[in-house]
Amino acid sequence: MAEEFEPKIVAFLCKWCSSAGSDLAGVSRMEYPPNVVPIQVMCSGSVSPLYVLSAFNKGADGVLVSGCHPGDCHYIKGNFYARRRIALVKRLLDFIGLEPQRFQMSWVSAAEGTKYTQIIKDFVQELKPLGPQTKLRRDL
Amino acid sequence: MVNLEDLKKEAKTVLEEGKVKYIIGYEKSANGLMPVPGFIKSPEEVEKLIWTPACVYNLTKFLVDEKRRKSREKKPDERPVGLVVKGCDSRALVVLLQEKFINRDDVFIIGVSCEETGVIDEKKLIKKLKGKKAEKIEFDEKDNFIVTTQEGKVKIAASEVLAERCLECKANSPVIYDVLLGEKAKRSVDNPFQSLEKIESLPERERWKFWKEQLSKCIRCYACRSVCPMCYCDECVADTINFAVTADTTAEEKAQKIKWLEKSPVKSENFVYHLVRAIHLAGRCIDCGECERVCPLDIPIRFLNKKLEKDAKELFDYEAGFDPEQPSLVSSFKDEDPEDFIR
Repeated sequence: MAEEFEPKIVAFLCKWCSSAGSDLAGVSRMEYPPNVVPIQVMCSGSVSPLYVLSAFNKGADGVLVSGCHPGDCHYIKGNFYARRRIALVKRLLDFIGLEPQRFQMSWVSAAEGTKYTQIIKDFVQELKPLGPQTKLRRDL
Repeated sequence: MVNLEDLKKEAKTVLEEGKVKYIIGYEKSANGLMPVPGFIKSPEEVEKLIWTPACVYNLTKFLVDEKRRKSREKKPDERPVGLVVKGCDSRALVVLLQEKFINRDDVFIIGVSCEETGVIDEKKLIKKLKGKKAEKIEFDEKDNFIVTTQEGKVKIAASEVLAERCLECKANSPVIYDVLLGEKAKRSVDNPFQSLEKIESLPERERWKFWKEQLSKCIRCYACRSVCPMCYCDECVADTINFAVTADTTAEEKAQKIKWLEKSPVKSENFVYHLVRAIHLAGRCIDCGECERVCPLDIPIRFLNKKLEKDAKELFDYEAGFDPEQPSLVSSFKDEDPEDFIR
């Protein structure tokens, strides 16, 4: 029997909220799919569109950018910049024909361990029917 | 209509008064039809200046070179540079001013208005003339161009040979200038993003097919980057070596330097290059169409930039190149920015 496709998700989590949120999920022993590779960044606003493209280029099936809720940013307004930038990147990736489900953004606070697990669960469920991401994967 | 004699007269006056170092304009080339950028240094040379519908180039790019040159000189000539700009080029100038890359005092702007028409697309004209060689092209009364070929003069409707971007033009007369030639006519464009809709209306799979085909062609000659007035960074992520290699740099440091994309012109790397370029031009590209014109493989690069221009307008009500005082697209935000895509 063929093994079920397990998508690989790269998640850029901001240090102050989302990363702490994922930590809470961990220490609370909540179960969620092991498909995600978390990368801690200082702020969602520091996520360059190049990080996202590079993740897809290096074989990610899905990319998640997660930051603090608006107004809760440790750097006051980093997530507002992120919101603008990610909206543009999302539209652009959609325009070139990448499945829009592959690139997601979320707000997860340090107290929202459950929300984090739910987001990952949903993300994995959405990616499974799409199969591996080959469009932007490096083909050297 | 722009009177060429007026343009020459203005140029001559400022050169004689010594107000400018030199003037960058268009001059006749050996090819005949398409002009070349001309650097007019003395009042006698102004006779070389021309203004035809074939003046497609965005001369703003030369200000970037001028700035570099000036920074290397020991005793730079502090006078401004005269620059002939069309409506679209003037918007590029506004963006450079907005980013404080150049100062307003460094440039003397001679604006020329395209009025009701615009500039030609050379490829469209060649097709239209069916093998006849055009020697000269002139503006006529509204909506028409007069093309001189070996077999005589032909009148061609402007809409048939106008560059794609001119059909979607938002500023047919300069938005910023010291001297304006021609009339400030506002042309109404029904849909400034009409060409984009052809691709946007395709289903996802077709869009991917389209871009895969187009971007796989890219040979990474970087002509689009070289010609772009906004691509003025000293370092570029597209270059493999973008950090200083000194005698102290170890092999390990070199090996561990992040390489965002490979030089190889293969599909995946081409996508990274073109998408990054598009993103870096978000809210800055003013659609002068130079990238597409210089592309040796006819990749419709303009659409990527156009798409972001449209999104910026739709999502954030942002238009580049009209106000040098406004904060740039990605370094500002509003509380009511859309967030329906965020979970």
